[in-house]
Amino acid sequence: MASSDPNKLMAKADKLTKLSLTRWSADWKSATQLYEQAAIGYRVAKNHEKAKIAFEKASKGQEMLSSPWDAAKHMESAAALAKEVGNWTEVADFYKRASELYIVCGRPQPASDALAKGARALEDAVPDEAIQLYTEACSILEEDDKEQMAFDLYRAATCVYIKLEKYTDAATFLLRWGLAADKCSATNSQCKAYLSAIIVYLYAHDFKQAEKCYNDCSQIDVFLRNDHGRCASKLLSAYSEGDIEEIKRLGQSSTISNLDHVIIRLARKLPTGEVCALKTEAAEEQEEPLDENDLT
Amino acid sequence: MSVIDILTRVDAICKKYDKYDVEKQKDLNVTGDDAFARLYAAVEADLESALQKAESVSKEKNKASAVALNAEVRRTKARLLEEVPKLQRLAVKKVKGLSGEELAARNDLVLALPDRIQAIPDGSAPAAKQSGGWAASASRTEIKFDSDGRFDDEYFQQTEESSGFRQEFEMRKIKQDQGLDVISEGLDTLKNMASDMNEELDRQVPLMDEIDTKVDKAAADLKNTNVRLKDTVNQLRSSRNFCIDIILLCIILGIAAYLYNVLKK
Repeated sequence: MASSDPNKLMAKADKLTKLSLTRWSADWKSATQLYEQAAIGYRVAKNHEKAKIAFEKASKGQEMLSSPWDAAKHMESAAALAKEVGNWTEVADFYKRASELYIVCGRPQPASDALAKGARALEDAVPDEAIQLYTEACSILEEDDKEQMAFDLYRAATCVYIKLEKYTDAATFLLRWGLAADKCSATNSQCKAYLSAIIVYLYAHDFKQAEKCYNDCSQIDVFLRNDHGRCASKLLSAYSEGDIEEIKRLGQSSTISNLDHVIIRLARKLPTGEVCALKTEAAEEQEEPLDENDLT
Repeated sequence: MSVIDILTRVDAICKKYDKYDVEKQKDLNVTGDDAFARLYAAVEADLESALQKAESVSKEKNKASAVALNAEVRRTKARLLEEVPKLQRLAVKKVKGLSGEELAARNDLVLALPDRIQAIPDGSAPAAKQSGGWAASASRTEIKFDSDGRFDDEYFQQTEESSGFRQEFEMRKIKQDQGLDVISEGLDTLKNMASDMNEELDRQVPLMDEIDTKVDKAAADLKNTNVRLKDTVNQLRSSRNFCIDIILLCIILGIAAYLYNVLKK
């Protein structure tokens, strides 16, 4: 049966599903079968556009047959083919629909997997959409108490943010990662996430934020006592003193080399030329209160 | 053991088990309502025990235990000094049944406490002794250095050998430091990898549990199916055997009939 022309199969299946005077209810069962065969045939023939449409219809058929699992699977295949075609909106839509169907099945893990696949496909083309998908995938897992699985997603999303140079967003996301790690007591990942956030803030020339971030994170005992916490405090003190050599040395240290490679790249570039400015700023602030004292 | 030793031991044991002496406790508890008196009694008791410990230190032969006892005495002293402000506050409070004179007396007692606490010997009292530092060994009259402080003499110059030795020592130290640095970096990497592995394994534990349950269910289903299959096959086989039996029987009868016919002719 697979050898017969997929076009013919499609036509036959369409006839089965179209309602007319002679046909009062669509025969979804056989139609779905035919759609599936046609889709496989098209895929083998590398006809991506038609294969995508066939998979869409097959998925709809499975939905009608109330088997959301198969429907979701077909949706995913359709989405993969849409990626080949290059139709990005459809890719996003299909993956989202597949994820919804998986949730209907009561299986959040494949749901978030589908969203992650979609996000990965869209990373280069439509990064904003990709980030949205990543965030949704993370929230699905967090609702289900499976934060451990979400670590890869957090990492990928952070990479995308940094590529887009949206540093505050990246740092916020890293802090969210730290929170998830905290919930499943993954202390190493948590401390790494906090240290990465501080480095991102410093890279974005936002020293005040970095300090605030460090103060917030030192509320957490684990970070304070950890290697990463000590490295962060050394980094901040080196910044406030304007010690470029120290910053460079810390950037090469092993604590930072254990972080994610995107963060390592940022850290190696760290003394981004504004360190002297920070020093003079701090000095100016100190002079003002003295003047007030002189006046009084 | 002499009588004196026995007497001292008995005294010590009695003191130790005083707390079980009901009558004596009743006397002490008369002051139970008065917070100040209670606290003061407690502080006094602690002072006493600290004094005793200090005395036993002077009798101690073992240096380590002497040091330990001294440290304990110092700790008790610090604690007692902390209690003194509390006592001062309580001393000023008015308690029923107490005259004005007694109140004043209490205040004096509290003021005298810090001095008494400080007076307990704890091995660090002669502070002036240590002011000289290492070089002041000359201040002790028993030990004498011949040179009397002149270190520029030729006698003390570094010979070539000794300076070469010193250099080699420094170089070896530097090499050791470098080696230790390398080791420390390697250990850092190992530690990082180990924590990551730890987290990964933690992540996989619930997955393994899920797999376990699912596989158990699948195994039970399979077992079930196997049993039913076995029954079915048996049934089939037995009926098949039965048919085969009948057919063979017919064939044998046929052959027998044929032979009978042949023989009859």
